[in-house]
Amino acid sequence: MRKILRFALREYKAAVKTKGFIIGLLLAPLVMGGGLIAFLLLKDRVDTTDKRVAVVDRSGLVTRALVSAAEFRNANEILDKESGKKIRPAHFFEEVKPSTNDPKGQRLELSDRVRSGELHGFIEIGPQVVHPGKDPEAFQISYYAKNAAMDDLRGWAAWAINNRLRQVRLADAGVKESDVKDLFFWVSVDGLGLVSLDESTGAIAEGKRASPLEAILIPIVIMMLMLLMIMMSVPGMLHSVMEEKTQRIAEVLLGSIKPFEFMAAKLVGGIAVSLTSSAVYFVGGIIALQVMGYEDYVPLHVLPWFFAYMLLAIIMFGAWSAALGSTCNEAKDAQSLSFPTILPALFPMFIYFPVVKEPLGSFATWMSLVPPFTPLLMVLRLCTPGGVPAWQPFAGLLGVLLFTLFFVWAAGRIFRVAILMQGTPPKLANIVRWAIRG
Amino acid sequence: MPTIELQNVTKTFGKHVAVEGLSLTVPQGSVYGFIGPNGSGKTTTLRMIMNILYPDSGEITIFGEPLRPASCDRIGYMPEERGLYKRMKVREVLEFFGGLKNGDGIGAKVDRWLERLDLADWANKKVETLSKGMSQKVQFIATVVSQPELVLLDEPFTGLDPVNTDVIKDAILELQAQGTTVIFSTHDMSMAEKMCDYIFMIFKGVKVLDGTLAEIQDKYGTDTVRVKTGDGMSALQNLEGIERVNDFGQVQELRLAPEGNSQKILQEILKRTYVRSFEIVKPSLHDIFVRIAGPQAKEVERA
Repeated sequence: MRKILRFALREYKAAVKTKGFIIGLLLAPLVMGGGLIAFLLLKDRVDTTDKRVAVVDRSGLVTRALVSAAEFRNANEILDKESGKKIRPAHFFEEVKPSTNDPKGQRLELSDRVRSGELHGFIEIGPQVVHPGKDPEAFQISYYAKNAAMDDLRGWAAWAINNRLRQVRLADAGVKESDVKDLFFWVSVDGLGLVSLDESTGAIAEGKRASPLEAILIPIVIMMLMLLMIMMSVPGMLHSVMEEKTQRIAEVLLGSIKPFEFMAAKLVGGIAVSLTSSAVYFVGGIIALQVMGYEDYVPLHVLPWFFAYMLLAIIMFGAWSAALGSTCNEAKDAQSLSFPTILPALFPMFIYFPVVKEPLGSFATWMSLVPPFTPLLMVLRLCTPGGVPAWQPFAGLLGVLLFTLFFVWAAGRIFRVAILMQGTPPKLANIVRWAIRG
Repeated sequence: MPTIELQNVTKTFGKHVAVEGLSLTVPQGSVYGFIGPNGSGKTTTLRMIMNILYPDSGEITIFGEPLRPASCDRIGYMPEERGLYKRMKVREVLEFFGGLKNGDGIGAKVDRWLERLDLADWANKKVETLSKGMSQKVQFIATVVSQPELVLLDEPFTGLDPVNTDVIKDAILELQAQGTTVIFSTHDMSMAEKMCDYIFMIFKGVKVLDGTLAEIQDKYGTDTVRVKTGDGMSALQNLEGIERVNDFGQVQELRLAPEGNSQKILQEILKRTYVRSFEIVKPSLHDIFVRIAGPQAKEVERA
């Protein structure tokens, strides 16, 4: 044990004292969460250039209302009330008389005006838009622009047009709008957790309000964090064992320690590196969430499971990685084995969405009990608001433990043979033979 | 009590027999030389003694006990292929390797050896900045710094200049003087002749020589003449009674045929040129090695 710890300490120092580790520690969450951060930072940045849109209104009932709504918006909503700074673009609508004999030619002409920059886009409103008939083209509203799918103006115009259509339809039905002002009051359905009884006080605790942050984002972030911890140590073991073999350090070490101790020291070193990183991320993350007022969302009850599963995942995948590293004769071999090494750890990323969407479904349950996928998927499920049945994390842990013992046993046999083997390529047949025969 | 005893040890890799039925006894405090052509089984034997490879059959006894992993803490091993962590500093790497075996007072021991091998100024330099010779000296220190009772050195002089060769040679003899048993493999026959109390030769996995230099030479008799002449090799062409001439430039070694007569050969040479020296000697280790493993070697004969 003394030798394992001494060697593991060297591995740990060799990993954490490098600039690469410190840069990686800082960059990894930025890269993995970069999209989210960029979205949060840039979501309020909008193009404030005024937009002019032509309207071809074949119903003859909408354009005026649209222009009025835009004028109201331009007067009241595009400037920041405190600073007076322009925060949104002004919208201007230009009525264009519909062409009856050449609608296609008219659309082409308007498209050319958009291409030249004179217009931002144009809207064409079907003649039967107020009372749609059987012909879809007759009541269709079309918005033409360079990037129509992602254009905010399309959504605003749809709201303004439908407001006008509602007024016209009520008037046609002989109903005063003021009489039915609640008709269009939209009531949303609140998502709540289950009500529970506090046994100590006898009080009934209300269900916790469910939020997308808690239901999806937190589980995914925790799962990504575990993947990050695995990725920070496991692939490195492949390369460091390969280097020790190719630089002939392995034989010197084997003069002092047994092959199994060699591999065990690598794993202990890798675990220490991951624990260091995860401690930094957890402490940093909890402080950041407290500052932002989201501390209630930290699933503290999951942390013991997180660390237990992370520990076993690193041992399981690390043993596999070290064994494969011992079969490599050159850097090229290690490169080609990098992906197979991390594939079992990456696989849960391909199926996380159906799992987080229905964490208690049979697919999520069974996949999270497949040992190589258990650490990531079980933690993902544990972080969801409903949690999982109490027996499942224990069953998953037992499965992972047994699988890890098998992995370490097989990896140790491969490692012992391959670490001194020079010139024998790391073919699957050789690896299986070494694992079976030792 | 011998430091090492190998009894009928065999090791195969697939169908290749690397070591076959090897028995060997290494006395405590001796310097034992392992010689043999490349691929003959020297390194495999050393690895089995280190418990890195396990024999298929036979027994290995170290320090009077069956070989077990804990025995390795009392053995220093320098493999043929040197290996040091290049990005570590010299002192760190020595403390690490020494500490794996015996960490007691390792810092002071490292300092003493660095001073002893003239590397003190390099203690805080990274290994990757060292020359090949310096790296080899660092590797040697890593092997002996834990004060092992048995030291195994696989070709310790390869790649060293004469100055560093002497440094390592003196260090080995100093270890022996302190009671350490030293085994080293080498292709340098003169070094083996001069340094080793016992010499062991393995060829095609089979022991072919084992004993002191004198014992080995006695086995081959005095069938060698070392001669220096005025015309060198050209005066020795087509001499009768000679089996082989080994030309070293300034001196030639003649191996007599079984029916050869040294006096007649001397008379014949004197007819051709003048003779500066003519000495009847035992065959050198180099010559014996070539007789066993050279292209004209006959079948392997067990020692």
